[in-house]
Amino acid sequence: MASAPRSETPSAVPALSPERPVIWPPRVRKTLSNGLEVVLVELHTIPKFTGELFFRSGNAVSAATAPGLADMTATVARTGTTSRTSRQIEEDLRRMGSDLSSGAGADTSVISFGGLVDFSSELLGLVSELAQHASFPADEFERERRQLIEGLRIERTTPGFLASERLRRVLFGAHPYGTVSPTEAQVTGYRLDQLVEFHKRCYRPGNALLVLVGDFSPQDMLAQIEKAFGSWATGAVEEAPNPKLPELPGRRVYLVHLPGAVQAQILIGNHAITRTHPDWLRLTLANSIYGGAFNSRLVMNIREQKGYTYSPRSGAHPLRQHGYFSVGAAVRNDVVGATLTEIFYEIDRMRSTPVEDGELADARNYLTGIFSLGLATQDGLAGQLATATLERLPEDYLETYRERILKLTSADVLDAAQKYFDSAHAQIVIVGDRAQIESQAALFGTPEVYDAQGNRI
Amino acid sequence: MTLSNGLRVVVSPDRTAPVATVGVYYNIGFRIEPRGRSGFAHLFEHMMFQGSANAGKMVHIKLVNSSGGVLNGSTHYDVTNYYESVPSNALDRVLWLEADRMRALKVDDDNLRNQRDVVKEEVRVNVLNQPYGGFPWLDLPPIAYRNWANAHNFYGDFDDLDAATLDDVQKFFQTYYAPSNAVLLILGDVDTDEGFRLAERHFASIPSGPQPSPAGIEEPAQIEERRGVVEEKFGTLPGIAIGYQAPRRLTPEWYAAAMLDQALHGGRVGRVYRRLVLEQQIAVDAEGGIHYPVGDLFDYNGPTLMVTRLLYKPEYSVDQTIAAYDQVINEMKEKGITSAELEPIKVKFRSNYFSMLEGGHGAYIPRYGLMHLLACFTLFDNDPKLVNTILGGFMEVTPEAVQSVAHKLLTHHNRSIVIRQPAKKGAA
Repeated sequence: MASAPRSETPSAVPALSPERPVIWPPRVRKTLSNGLEVVLVELHTIPKFTGELFFRSGNAVSAATAPGLADMTATVARTGTTSRTSRQIEEDLRRMGSDLSSGAGADTSVISFGGLVDFSSELLGLVSELAQHASFPADEFERERRQLIEGLRIERTTPGFLASERLRRVLFGAHPYGTVSPTEAQVTGYRLDQLVEFHKRCYRPGNALLVLVGDFSPQDMLAQIEKAFGSWATGAVEEAPNPKLPELPGRRVYLVHLPGAVQAQILIGNHAITRTHPDWLRLTLANSIYGGAFNSRLVMNIREQKGYTYSPRSGAHPLRQHGYFSVGAAVRNDVVGATLTEIFYEIDRMRSTPVEDGELADARNYLTGIFSLGLATQDGLAGQLATATLERLPEDYLETYRERILKLTSADVLDAAQKYFDSAHAQIVIVGDRAQIESQAALFGTPEVYDAQGNRI
Repeated sequence: MTLSNGLRVVVSPDRTAPVATVGVYYNIGFRIEPRGRSGFAHLFEHMMFQGSANAGKMVHIKLVNSSGGVLNGSTHYDVTNYYESVPSNALDRVLWLEADRMRALKVDDDNLRNQRDVVKEEVRVNVLNQPYGGFPWLDLPPIAYRNWANAHNFYGDFDDLDAATLDDVQKFFQTYYAPSNAVLLILGDVDTDEGFRLAERHFASIPSGPQPSPAGIEEPAQIEERRGVVEEKFGTLPGIAIGYQAPRRLTPEWYAAAMLDQALHGGRVGRVYRRLVLEQQIAVDAEGGIHYPVGDLFDYNGPTLMVTRLLYKPEYSVDQTIAAYDQVINEMKEKGITSAELEPIKVKFRSNYFSMLEGGHGAYIPRYGLMHLLACFTLFDNDPKLVNTILGGFMEVTPEAVQSVAHKLLTHHNRSIVIRQPAKKGAA
């Protein structure tokens, strides 16, 4: 190749060539007779498969009695079954070239797993055992309890955690979404029989969704699933409570005092919508233009022009019952006020001025493009499938996602920004050393000050 | 193939989805940044996004995002990478962008001041304002090493970041960013001939530059255990990290050490986690690995450590914790490992390797892991095809080889220990 002619690099940006079609691989859906919903996609990139077994019950279900109970239940569920000890489970996983983790968020509990496809039948058998026959050994429970308490203490020294904890409390109050972590006292109060009861009640096939992606034939995999999960007894599961959300006051400032902090973590937010709301894609696009991408207005402003921060981002967060919008940035102490000014300037610009065609087209391309990137790996496909299925989105949601994004207009973006970038009711949380930042915070409202334990000071 | 200016090109077609990942790797990492300029290799990486001959500030980011893609870069011990994942119809454009910044950087003092500020906030958010920030990746090198190249603060002392000039930036670019000191990788929805044709079109006319002289990164042999203490400003638990000098890549000992590492650190089933967290319950977390935590088995090309990182309960002392850890180590040295333990480790290793090739960096950078391996094998060994054969070496490791490398590596005089001590006693 060394003899090839040397060409000059053209100074003009090369145009995009015609797009290759983006084809969603066919999925196979089936509901077993006990109610277990199954979604499969074959993807033969590597001789492995990845799976997630979801239960539509998370920490919100038990928020009134024992916050965080679903997460503790999922954690201890992997430490023993009626036929395997904790150590056997871990050794079996290694022998099968497999990984497994379990946990719970506000709305779901999940067992995530994956491994060499040669062992798929056996791995599904283990997952089924954890779902049906977890034995909840008392010593494993006590060990996990102590680990959780130590973990919570460390969380209370982490600026990002403290900011999101305060914001969720402010936005959702007594609703289960208002609590992101249990207190130490609540963890100390967990009883083993509560975990057993939660598992028995919520780990049921009629409450579950099994997503599998990988190097298998769907018919063969369905037979393996039937064998592993077919005899699982069904049971009715109630919905999580949905108390009324607090009315947000006007813009208000909350300061979480973290002595010795050398940076301020800013996080502002307001109520928004869930993924099933008709405005969801409009909000997604508006967020992408505002602060949801590297090329967004917020990042260009407070990072690339002003150098206030490393990784500012905004996000629309869809929980099952409610959603919220947030803007976050960790900034140096002396520019807290200046950063808030720019955050609100960019929000208000989105709300008052239509986005130009070029910027709109760029943002639409960004969203449709990164959607395609998620089709190339087993984990990427599984993630998209799980989202669409868990939220019971329309059957063709994934297939039509790109064309629906491409149809959105400048008016759609303006509409979404006016509704969901709620500048007038933005709740402003700042975590940092009070002495360094309080006077700047006070420019935006009299701060309510809290310590890192969550007490008002 | 190699272009006439010395740029090596690797193409790896994969038609799973209409997307492509492009990477340019330069054979320069934070080990060999200039004295008095700690953190400079990373600061320089930021400058590569600030503008090149025909694509000014913000243009790189805007062009990639608006084509439907994502981009980033990262600085490692011995390499620095720049990469994009895009729908494949943007491949031509992305290669043009990478070629433009390999040809000429076009940045000014404002850009440097701006990115210096950004990098300082990056250091604060990742290290200075986080519990256990930099533990142990910034704590261990100054304790374990005697050569400044290996021992200095890789993220950068703020004084050094402040001292960096535009002249330093251009000099660093001239010295280390020549085509012959780099490899271009094109993966995904492209065929081999087309990939090479595009590489030729965009990169062949970039003038060649002198190869940088080899850097002095050798370490004198370690002959005593080394220890240090670092204050933990925020976190409530004490931590200990132990690092053993690890073997050179691709040596017989390296293959065996990889299996030893999996036996010790392979997640919850690994001996360290099982013993210290699950059984004795002295620690609440235990992780580790070769070149952990900012790299892996494959992406170093000089001295590195096999590290164990523990957070443990405050009711135990440093000595008790290290004694419990040493018991695990001594058992491995004295009794070795059975094939009943080693064979499953190999199965898991193979499985992990496949996942790394397919993804390795989240769901939106397909084939990042494959790209990273191909780049390291090209720059360090001039043999990207090792990616197809390297697994064989691990599968052949015997129990005797694991015990033998344990004897050689896991000695007190071959290790360094950092104790991360919370500033306040206990927790409320």
